[in-house]
Amino acid sequence: MNTDYTGLAEFHWLIEVMQTVDVGVLVLDLEYQITAWNGFMENNSGIDSADALGRSLFDVFDDLSVEWFKHKADTVIQLRNRAFTTWEQRAYVFKFRNNRPITGVTEYMYQNCTFIPVIGTTGKVQNLAVIVYDVTDIATSKLELKAANDRLAQLSRTDGLTQLYNRAYWEEMLSNEFKRQKRHAHDLSLIMFDIDHFKKVNDTYGHQVGDDVIRAVAEEVRHNSRNTDIAGRYGGEEFALLLIDSDAENALLFAERLRKAIENRRVSTPEGELQVTVSLGVAPWKESFHHYNAWIEAADKALYTSKDEGRNRSTLSK
Amino acid sequence: MSTDVLDEELRDCFQELSNVAVGRAADLLARLLNNFVIMPIPVVNLLERAELSMALSAIADASSVSAVCQGFTGSKIAGEALLIFNDASFQDMAELTQFKGEITEQIELELLMDIANILIGACLKGLAEQIDVSFSQGQPYLLGQHINIEELLNRNGSTWQRLLTIELPYKLEGREVNCDLLLLFTEDSLAILRNKMSYLLE
Repeated sequence: MNTDYTGLAEFHWLIEVMQTVDVGVLVLDLEYQITAWNGFMENNSGIDSADALGRSLFDVFDDLSVEWFKHKADTVIQLRNRAFTTWEQRAYVFKFRNNRPITGVTEYMYQNCTFIPVIGTTGKVQNLAVIVYDVTDIATSKLELKAANDRLAQLSRTDGLTQLYNRAYWEEMLSNEFKRQKRHAHDLSLIMFDIDHFKKVNDTYGHQVGDDVIRAVAEEVRHNSRNTDIAGRYGGEEFALLLIDSDAENALLFAERLRKAIENRRVSTPEGELQVTVSLGVAPWKESFHHYNAWIEAADKALYTSKDEGRNRSTLSK
Repeated sequence: MSTDVLDEELRDCFQELSNVAVGRAADLLARLLNNFVIMPIPVVNLLERAELSMALSAIADASSVSAVCQGFTGSKIAGEALLIFNDASFQDMAELTQFKGEITEQIELELLMDIANILIGACLKGLAEQIDVSFSQGQPYLLGQHINIEELLNRNGSTWQRLLTIELPYKLEGREVNCDLLLLFTEDSLAILRNKMSYLLE
């Protein structure tokens, strides 16, 4: 009698602990019918265990992805091996509200889950236990940190005036492409160009207008290049462009299109509209470049030929 | 007996234990994917901090990998399992799991976690059962997707000096799937492991 009572008391407190523990405990049979549902599940779903027990999990949570859940569960049952899912895979398995509805930053609770095969007295898997952890705070901090880092990375590689890549980052990209090129060569061309008589613009109209001109040129670069092209501000009025999958002919065509677009562009100043031109040097990749500097030099040389021959033109490097 | 050396006898012991464990894990993976899994030969080592970085770089000659780690502990034995997945493997993995459609980063993560659950779970269970302990596994932690291998360890600020490492390179027959499972045990676990394995050492 006494042992019965002790056994019952022990059972009682075990259940009490399961009921109050601050993680979700959900047990299913092999037909996905709910056989256990603790306080955490009751409180967060708003469904009492009396209403949940015996029902199919997919009826209780009609927004649960049946296919995904069954794939996880079946693997666990068949292989008798635990499985873990993280909030990074799926923000939540069960759609519960954030447990800080007022000060929380997300609407829903982020969750990690553990799927555990429960071996019955017969030695076979008879149930599936799912433990649900609330990881909202960890998840939101990690997401916020990542957003901040992404923003910093973005800032550190962007030129403030033009929003093109800055020189350091552009060179890093060039260096990467150069290494890739040494392994598998593709058609790849480099264009260096600068704004003709830029000093005169600055001296005549002031730096404000000078900045407007640089911005306008950068805008034409953006309009005329493809997403895959790598465009940067190389120096004061000098720009650099790496054209992916472009041979000499295509790169020269591109250079001419850009040159004409800039020539046709008007920049408004207090003293009326201003027209600027650019001189370009085009250098397709060559096996003989041992360092990317040699490539820049080749494009620069072609750029100076354009300058010497009267500006507002494109020259292909020899 | 000194605990800070990995003598031949002990190394053989670990080798033997790992063989059994990886066999089980390979079997489960083969059943999940319906594809023959080439049984990896475990490499057992006692590595210094710097050596581990080198070992990791050697594993991934590919420049881009994704990695998951998961801590485990039990009977005063502690460590981490580290799964390093070559990003080039995702295409074949997706085909094997009959996944159709575009392979987004989200899908890659699902595939990565599926493999991690199976390999880590089965290997640890296999090891634990043989030395009569049971490990509790923490939540897996995504170290990163498409990261450079050297970035992995550089973030670690802890003070460990030496680790027992069991490296298990898994490959699938006829497929471009490459992943490495590393079981890393802390130095102070070594004495306990030696004790637990004494029945094999006799």
